[in-house]
Parts: sequence; C-alpha cells; structure tokens
Amino acid sequence: MSKVKHFIVAGAVAAGLCPVIAGVLARAATIKVPDPTQVVMIVNRDSNEIAFMDIKTKKIVGKTFLGNNVNPHMVMMSPDGRYVVTGGTRANKAYIIDAHTLELVKVIPVDIAPEHLAFSPDGRWYYQGNPQGDSLSVIDMVSLTKIKTIPGLVEPLNVVFLADGSKAYVGNYGAHWVGVIDVRRHELLKKIQIAEVPGVAKLDPAKYLGEIKGINIPQITNDGRYLYAADTDLGVVGKIDPREDKVVKVIRVGKDPWRIYMSHDGKYAITPNNGDQTISIIDLTADKVVATLEAGENMTGVNFAAGKAFVISSTSGFVYTYDMKTLRPAGRIKIGTNIQLETATTDTADEKLYLADSTENAVVIIDGKTNAFEKVMNVGLYPWGTHIMDSKDNYCH
Amino acid sequence: MSRLVLATASAVLFTAVVASAQTSTVTGRVANARGGVIANADVTLHLLPPPGQPAMPAMPNMPGMVADKTATTGADGSFTFTQVPPGQYAVMADSPGFERASQELIVGAQTPAVTLTLSALEVPGAEPSVAAAGAATDPQALLARIKTLEQRIADLESGTVLSEPETRVKRIEVFTDKNGVEYEQPTPGAKKTITYQRERVYRRQWLSEKLEQAFSDQEAKRIAVGMSAASVTQFARQTSGPPSTSNGHAYQLASADLLFSAGLAQYTSFFADIVGLSGAPPDAERHGLTLLNSYSSRLVQNNQVNVREAWVKTELFSQKLALVAGRVDMTNYFDRNAVANDETSQFVGDALVNDPVLVLPTNGSGVVGLFDAKNGLSIRAGFQQTNADATNLTESIYTLTEVGYVARPPGLSEGNYRVWYRSDNSTGTRRGAVGLSADQKLTPIFTVFGRYGTGKVDAPSGDTSTLFSTGGRFYSGGFQFQNGLVFNPLDRWGVGYARTVVPSGPSESVVEAYYNFRISEKLRLSFNLQHLLESPVGEASHAFLFPGVRLQASF
Repeated sequence: MSKVKHFIVAGAVAAGLCPVIAGVLARAATIKVPDPTQVVMIVNRDSNEIAFMDIKTKKIVGKTFLGNNVNPHMVMMSPDGRYVVTGGTRANKAYIIDAHTLELVKVIPVDIAPEHLAFSPDGRWYYQGNPQGDSLSVIDMVSLTKIKTIPGLVEPLNVVFLADGSKAYVGNYGAHWVGVIDVRRHELLKKIQIAEVPGVAKLDPAKYLGEIKGINIPQITNDGRYLYAADTDLGVVGKIDPREDKVVKVIRVGKDPWRIYMSHDGKYAITPNNGDQTISIIDLTADKVVATLEAGENMTGVNFAAGKAFVISSTSGFVYTYDMKTLRPAGRIKIGTNIQLETATTDTADEKLYLADSTENAVVIIDGKTNAFEKVMNVGLYPWGTHIMDSKDNYCH
Repeated sequence: MSRLVLATASAVLFTAVVASAQTSTVTGRVANARGGVIANADVTLHLLPPPGQPAMPAMPNMPGMVADKTATTGADGSFTFTQVPPGQYAVMADSPGFERASQELIVGAQTPAVTLTLSALEVPGAEPSVAAAGAATDPQALLARIKTLEQRIADLESGTVLSEPETRVKRIEVFTDKNGVEYEQPTPGAKKTITYQRERVYRRQWLSEKLEQAFSDQEAKRIAVGMSAASVTQFARQTSGPPSTSNGHAYQLASADLLFSAGLAQYTSFFADIVGLSGAPPDAERHGLTLLNSYSSRLVQNNQVNVREAWVKTELFSQKLALVAGRVDMTNYFDRNAVANDETSQFVGDALVNDPVLVLPTNGSGVVGLFDAKNGLSIRAGFQQTNADATNLTESIYTLTEVGYVARPPGLSEGNYRVWYRSDNSTGTRRGAVGLSADQKLTPIFTVFGRYGTGKVDAPSGDTSTLFSTGGRFYSGGFQFQNGLVFNPLDRWGVGYARTVVPSGPSESVVEAYYNFRISEKLRLSFNLQHLLESPVGEASHAFLFPGVRLQASF
C-alpha cells in the first residue's frame, strides 16, 4: 500500500473517532456523579439545596441550589438514575435535577406545599403530593411537564405504586381512607376506609373534632401482594388486597402509630407508636402483633440493617435498636445531646444508615453491625432527609 | 500489514453503509420563547425503554445499555443526529440559564424535524446567567421578566411572610489559645473549648407554624400542671359466716391528685403529687390483711391533703442510670406488673395491684436507682424511711432490690419477669422477704400475670395488728383482655385471684373482676366486683361481695 493510501485510511479512522472522543471528553468534564447508585442525596431545608455525598469517600461531591425560601422536603432519584427530583414546600414547585451533572434543569409549578413524592416503576410518572393543596401533581418525566393535578384527596402524604404500575395508593393524613389512583388515566378511582371510627368517639369531641391524624402511607409488602396502612387516630393497621381493593384485616397496634415500615426480609412490619412510646412488630404471615416493645419519644422513622431495626427518636437524640431475630430490645445508640434527628436511609447492602441530624447540620453514618457511628459535618443547613437509589428504606417525615 | 489495514478500513466503511440503510437522521432546532435561536445548546437523544418495562439505571458500562447521542446546536440553532436506529426516544436540550426542554420522538422511516423551545430558568437568589441576561435585553423579554417578578410578589403576599431570619443558639466547639483568640479549626497552642453562639437561618414558615413553635417553646420552660380525680363507690354484701356489722354498708372514697413537673437542668426534672382523700373506704370499717381499695394505701391520713410524692430525678451515663430522691412512692418503680399495677384503671384491690409481702411502707423520704440499658435487662434498687416519726434514717430503713428481664418465650410475645428482695429494720431486727412477679402476653389481646412473695417483718412491741409478724406468704394470678373481646376498642377487663396467708395467723382470699370503659382520652368508667373470703384466727370464716363503680378523670 502506498504512503498516500496509508494516510487516507488513517485520516478516515481518525476523523471518525475524533468527534466521539471530543464528545466523551466534553461530557466527562460536566459529570459530577458518574454512578447514581454511589451517592447519598441530602435534603438541606434551610440552605435550600440538595447535596450529594459520595458513599465511599463520604465527601460532598456537589450541591444543587434551588432558590431562596424553597425549603425542599423530600428527594428521590428516578428509577433510571437520570434525574433527581424534589418538591419545594414553600415555593409550591417541583425541581428536576440532572443526576449526573447536578444541574437544575426544570422548575415546575405544582400545588400548595409539596412534600412527599413517588415514581412509577417505569419511571415515566412522578407523582408529587401536595398536602395543603389536597392534591397530587402528575409530572411526565419525558416531557418534564406537569400534565395533570389529581384533586379530591385530603392532606395526601405518601404515594405507593403497584409493581405493575397500574395503580397507585395514597395515604390521606386528614382522613381515614386510602385513595386508589388509576395510573393510566391519573384519576382517583375509589376510597378504601381502613377502619371505622368507634361509636364512642362522639363522646370525645376534643380528640376527634380537634385535629385528625389519619393515614400516612399505605406501604406495600416486599412481594407486592398486599398493602398495610396505619391509622394514627384509630391505632390500627389495615391490610389491603389490591386485587380487590378491599380491607382484609384490621390489626390493633399501640397508641398513635406514625406509619408502618417493612422489614427487608418481608417477614415483619413495625409501627412506631408515638402515643405510648412503643413499637409494635407485626408478623406479616400471621397478621398479628408479635411484640410490643418500649421505644422513645417522637419517633420519625424505622430503618433495617444487619438483622436489626433502628428506630429514630427525634427529640431524645437516641436511636433505639431491636434484634429482628429474637424480637427483643437490643439497646440504644446515643447520637448526641440536645439535638434533633430527622430521618435516615439505608445503603443497598443493608449495612449502614445515613441519618440526618438537623441540629448539627450533619449526616450520621451508623454501622448496623457494630452500632458505631461517625458524623459528616457541614453537609448543608438543616438536613431534613436522605436518599440512596434503590435503598429499601427511602422515606420522609 | 498494509493489506490488513486496508481490509479493516473497508469493513468499517461497509458496516456503516449497511447500518445507515436501517437508520434515520434526526434534525431539529432549539429556540427561545420569543423565537430566537439558541446556539451552542447541548442536545441529547435518549432511547426510552419499551412501554411497561421497568426503567434501568443509566450507569456506564451497564450491559445492554444504549448510550445517549449528543450534539451541539450551530449558530442557527440547528442540530443533527445521524444513524439513529428506529425506536422511541426522548430528545432534550440544555443551555445555561434556561430550563431543560424535552419531548418524545418516534424515529422511523420518516422522522419529522424537532423544535425545542427553552424557557429562562428562574432561581431566586442564584447568580443571574449571562446567557439568559443577554437574551433578556429584548423589550419583550423584559416585559416577561417583569410579569414573572410581579407574580412572585403576589405569591409572597398571599402566603405567610415570616421571611425574617430565625435565630437559634448553638453549642459549638472552638479552639482558644492563651490570649483568648478563638479559632474554628485545631490550631497549635490552642485548646478545644465549648461555647455558645447565635446563628441565623432563613426559613419561610407558615404563621401557624411560627405560633405553634412559640407556644411549644414557652410550654417547655413552664411548670406542667396536671390533675387526676377519682371516685370509688363500693357496697358490702355478706354471703357467708356470722353476721357482720358491715353487711349492707356502702362506702365511697374520692381522691384528687394535683401533679406538677418541671425541667430543672439537663436530664434533671422535678415532680410532685399532692393528693386529697375524702370519704370512707371499706377498709376503714374492716381491717383485713389487704386493702380492698388501694387508693388509700401508703398514705398517712385520710380526709386530709397528703403529699404523695415529691422528688427530683436525674439521669446519668447516657441516661442508662436514673436516680430519684425525695418523697417517693416505691410502687412506681418496683414490681410494675403490666396488667396488675394501676388501681386507677385495673384492679381496685391492693392484693392485686401490689404484693403485700413487700410491706411497702408509707410514702416517705428515699432514694431509688434505676439501671436500664434498654436491652431488656433492668436493675433497680432503693431505700426509704419507714417511720415518719423516726429521728434518723438508719433505724427505720427499708430497702428493695429488683432485677427485671424482658423475655420472649418461644411462640409467645414479650413477657416481663422480675425477682425482688426487700429488707426492713424498722422493728429493730432486720427482716427480709423475696418475691417474683411476671406478666406474659399469650396473644396480642390476652395477658396473664402472677405474683409470689414470702417473708416476714416483726411487729413493733405491743402491736399485734401488723401484717406478717410471724412471716407471710402471698400469691396472686389472673389475666387481662385488651384490644379484643371488648365493647369499645380501648376498653380492658380482667380477673384476678389473690391469697394471703400468715402462718398460725389469719388468711384471706380475694377474687376481683373489673371492666374498664374508656369513654374519652380523659375519662374512664369501671365496674368491679370483689369477693373476699376471710379466715381469722379462732373465728369462723366469712365472705363478702363488694360490687363497685370507679370513675377516673385525668388532665
């Protein structure tokens, strides 16, 4: 082959490769999170931002500022790992962040005081709950626009989708029913009442007419077969069969259960009962309470790791631990004095918890096996919650 | 070698030609809201999963993952993607200062051109974008911006407006050198010290949130006051034995407790309970081994105001150890049976809410230590003055020690098991007693309990009415239903049996059943029925029925 031919061939190959290399280099320069499963997202309410902490290095790799007075509440990664979304409670808007570049790419007006949110399993729909607007905003994650507002709810706190994405279930904290949403049409299909208010309630207007604390979340079991919803005022957990959309069992738990949390092995569920400072452990096979154990005050969350349950007592500074094999108390971890703990997420290996400590502006990393912990300080102002993609313990309060 | 290179290049070219026959070209344009073009915008073409398939995380090197195609718009705002396989895509455009625009696109034989319109990204408080600012010099753009600002002001006015910064005091660590100069980081020659400093946070709150927080702060600083009142009415009906003067009598005891609590320091609190009792319980007329109405137990005087409790409590060692000192009611700390401990909502008779062998003294000055690591094991110890008229504590001291454990027998729910030992020297000779107490849930609604105690205490000289002067033995047992087999959800009911025996002395058996209605959070109504069988020394046994009603209010 002549030298000219060599030159032509080499030039053609180089010409084909250069744009690719340039493109890769250009994109790599702006990517801050190459792997979305390897970061903890932290909601910083007072600094109005979402911080991203690398799980391995425990360093903040980037922050996305949302604007003054936004007060983000809950953050979540889309199932495909492309976007991070949050609702700005004081701005009445939803914020969409590119999960790799950490740039804010879209701001979508929603209803009043957005708080908790959920993604459909296929990642197409982002349902943003607006408790003070009594509605759900439906956002299309392809066009990044709000396509509908679902009215008729009563202080909707949390939404859960069935695995096949056909229906979603909404916990209404201002009522005693779970809303069933048709995800195809984004409409409220029906209301499922968890339990009846006892007749004797009319003798206690101070309690029943003063304020209502209903259903926080209808939590789905790990196998997707049933939903369990705790009603705070009524002190019960209702089991719902989503095939027929009816309550098949009502289980009495302790006083003022905040909500229900599913263990990772699918065997148990726990309700922290803030009315009597206990937890109720429900056997999901027998559908009965198998243990009622002493806990702490103002419990905000339950996480599971290393075969134990970790119950966060927000105002006492303690995390109470329970052995999930023996269903007995296993001590408590003192995180600090005069601090307020918020909620936590658990890594996908079920080894460590990442707990938001709003007083110290820190994230507390708790080793599930040893109960040892370390604090990552200065993650932002007033961290309110944390989230890891695909964690089994992603929730907010 | 040259043939190999040529062959490779040919193969690449051939593949491209073949591939292009099955692929399409996607073209489009990126513009702003006023129709102007946006150059150098980043455009991404992302393949969507088939409908119904769960989304997969877009991680690099993931098998089967189709990489996004990217392009940059030219000076005329146009972009082109070549060799795009057919399918359903999302095409997205980004440019600094603008919101991302995204739309769905189906790539097939003929793919229409795409137009993406970018809107300016409003982030209050962020640095303004040069690109967006440049684009905003247009008069129409300025009008649009004014309209946006007006809307924001309207939003601000319509919502709550407490936008002034909140302040809070934080406890912080600093490093101070010998000159008093303060550093935030560790510095040679400076030592770590603790100080307090105010910080400001900007948080918009609803007015109601702000008020609620203010009230909550005030309440935390105040002395909390509570009240509890009860009225117990009982009747006596003799069922066997020689006629008794108390047959057919009615009794009533009313009590009112005023409760105070306040925080004194970190993990230190004060509590006081002042009680007034008035009326005539059945125990005023009959002097059995145990009290039929436990409300008046361990109180000095009826028909007067008593200080039931007044103590200071502090918690140490990460709050694992609590110390209580003052005028204490030992029943609040020892033998706290889950279903047979509270005379206000469970059994009324003292034989079923306490263990008579404990011979708990009248509430008096004492100290109680409680160790609880919240792992199921607890250790309690306490001592108390037994004689209110004693001139020193040493000669009238009552001590009690208890070890408790939360167990979970196979197949059952949790149960509490306690063993205690008490010692009392108030008669000059130290006497001891030991006992057991347990409550075990058999089902979520059914709990059984049991108590046993054996021991003695000498009677003071000349006093023959003291219990267990020659030793005593006691046992009780029973059950409770709660959260099931009840009329209303939070009602409860129970049945219990207690037997008290003094060797060579009297004996007594009590059976009690009660049903407790929870009418409201503050009000409970109970009906109870007690059967008493007394066997005094040298006399015939007699038995009584004591039906009763109890009304309990708590604030």
